[in-house]
Amino acid sequence: MDVIKVENVTRTYKTGEIEVHALRGVDLTITKGEFTAIAGPSGSGKTTLLNIIGGLDTPSGGDVLLGGKLISKMSGSELSNFRRDHVGFIFQSYNLIPVLTVAENIEFVMLLQDVDKKVRRQKVEEILGVIGLSGSADRLPSQLSGGQQQRVAVARAIVSEPDIILADEPTANLDSVTGSALLDMMRKLNEDKGITFIFSTHDKMIMERSKRLVMLHDGKIKSDEKR
Amino acid sequence: MILKMAIRNIFRNKRRSLVAALAISLGLTALIFVDAFQEGMIVNMVKSGTSTFMGEAQVHNSGFTNTMEVEKIIHDPLKIMDELSKEELVGSFTPRIKTLGMITSAGNVQSVLITGIDPQKEKALSKMDEALIEGEYLSDSSEKGIMIGQGLADILEVTVGDRLVITLAQAHTGEMAQEMMRVKGIFKLGTREFDRSMAFIPIERAGVMLGLEGAVHEIAVNFKDHKKTWDKNLPIWAKYSNNGNKFENWMLLMPEMDAMLSMSAYSKYIVGFILFLLVAGVIINTLFMSIYERMFEFGVIRAIGAKPFYTGALVVSESAVLAVMSTILGIISALLLNLIFSKVGIDYTGTEFMSVAMTELVYPVMTVEQYTSFPVSLIIFTMIVSIYPAWYAAKIKPAVAMKKGTK
Repeated sequence: MDVIKVENVTRTYKTGEIEVHALRGVDLTITKGEFTAIAGPSGSGKTTLLNIIGGLDTPSGGDVLLGGKLISKMSGSELSNFRRDHVGFIFQSYNLIPVLTVAENIEFVMLLQDVDKKVRRQKVEEILGVIGLSGSADRLPSQLSGGQQQRVAVARAIVSEPDIILADEPTANLDSVTGSALLDMMRKLNEDKGITFIFSTHDKMIMERSKRLVMLHDGKIKSDEKR
Repeated sequence: MILKMAIRNIFRNKRRSLVAALAISLGLTALIFVDAFQEGMIVNMVKSGTSTFMGEAQVHNSGFTNTMEVEKIIHDPLKIMDELSKEELVGSFTPRIKTLGMITSAGNVQSVLITGIDPQKEKALSKMDEALIEGEYLSDSSEKGIMIGQGLADILEVTVGDRLVITLAQAHTGEMAQEMMRVKGIFKLGTREFDRSMAFIPIERAGVMLGLEGAVHEIAVNFKDHKKTWDKNLPIWAKYSNNGNKFENWMLLMPEMDAMLSMSAYSKYIVGFILFLLVAGVIINTLFMSIYERMFEFGVIRAIGAKPFYTGALVVSESAVLAVMSTILGIISALLLNLIFSKVGIDYTGTEFMSVAMTELVYPVMTVEQYTSFPVSLIIFTMIVSIYPAWYAAKIKPAVAMKKGTK
């Protein structure tokens, strides 16, 4: 089953008089349960592609369909709802909300979804067990290590059971041991729960352990290898 | 959750929030204190203006105050005074005769307002006896003594015991009447105009000189409760405003003071407006600094599904938290300041405003409005002002925000 369909997507940024072509006609289909890495050198368009798939950015041309819905034509408010209900994000620098505790950070998306308080608490408790941070519910992000924060970010991304998780260089700020453990955790979630993951990465470890590797170069797909 | 986040965000940068809260609370403190001081100043001016000599209210013939024609006497003054003595509201009253005349000494001549007073009743109402700096107060209503102001004594080059000749025009006939009198006392009321142009003689002598024995031009009245005199709708005003007479409170007798009261209300709003503008600057600056600092965070919040309204509401909530904090601080500091000055007072004695000499310390007057509508207005105003930064935050595009605020 196709989760995402990217059809001939282009993205051009204007910086003064200069036009930068970040994506030059990308076609990509992601099916449910994939564990895909999008790799490529800096400036190749990885983050732009991820942003467009996640509805954070709109393409200059082409279409993006998620679960059959054309997201490239959605309004700002529709995109907010779409991201809230269908996409989980994991960012390079963890990007937890610093004033919220671990439990509150995980709960946040469900709160936006108007999920019942009892259900929220139950899910938070459950997911904290999955990421191995059961005793840290009331701690603030600043009281956690980088690896722990990124695990909370993963928990926040998966707790609302989105169709897809988009992770923008999730291991970039972690040491290799912590990065590997995090990757193990995400791989397990992918295998156990069938959650679809798409990574943009430089990390060889992610590239090696992904089920599919898409290489981007100058805004175009250079290779697409399924393993 | 929004409120929880707002509170925590405000305490995130304690120093910045504290500086902003201090600036806002200082504005509120200044507004409350200035208003309390102004209220105190008004009360003081009214009290000084009425207690020195004028009285809080006066009965006249309705044509007298504009023309000062001596024929325009109060109708049936004895009946009025009899009824006034039975009034619950009235504390004291005194009859007066007033006329313009000339005073001549060996050295000079001066036109003055000659007032015939009942020395004993006058003592109970005005501060004439306390204002004496030389000589003695008039002892009875018929003696040939005169009390003059220090300024007038200087002009006439006289002192206590010296002789003066009073000249005035008699009622009805217009014939000149002259009488020699001795300076019995010299007073200083503190108002230059009063001290240079007023002279007091016993009421009976004044009546005889004017050919108006038993007549009265003015009955000055003090109320038991000064605050009652501020009420223009009391039935007592109408009760004595008939038969060609009128009974007026100090607001009508001193229209310039009433005008000043209206002006002070405007000035309160002007001061408030200026202070609120400063507060607006502080709030907008603080909120924008906070938004720019957290650009990436706003991007993340939007990225994970918060609608534009959510980020806007977060900013408005932060400003509300800041406003409530600042308001509490402002109320406490204003209360302390007002309590201190309501004990020690502010010394304006001897200063003359609008022909009123301040005779007492000015004490700030606290009102419920200062501690309710001012703070509530400030909170509402702060929230309104925060709409602009909130709108900016709501417009943030997640991808752009995360790019701008890249960590």
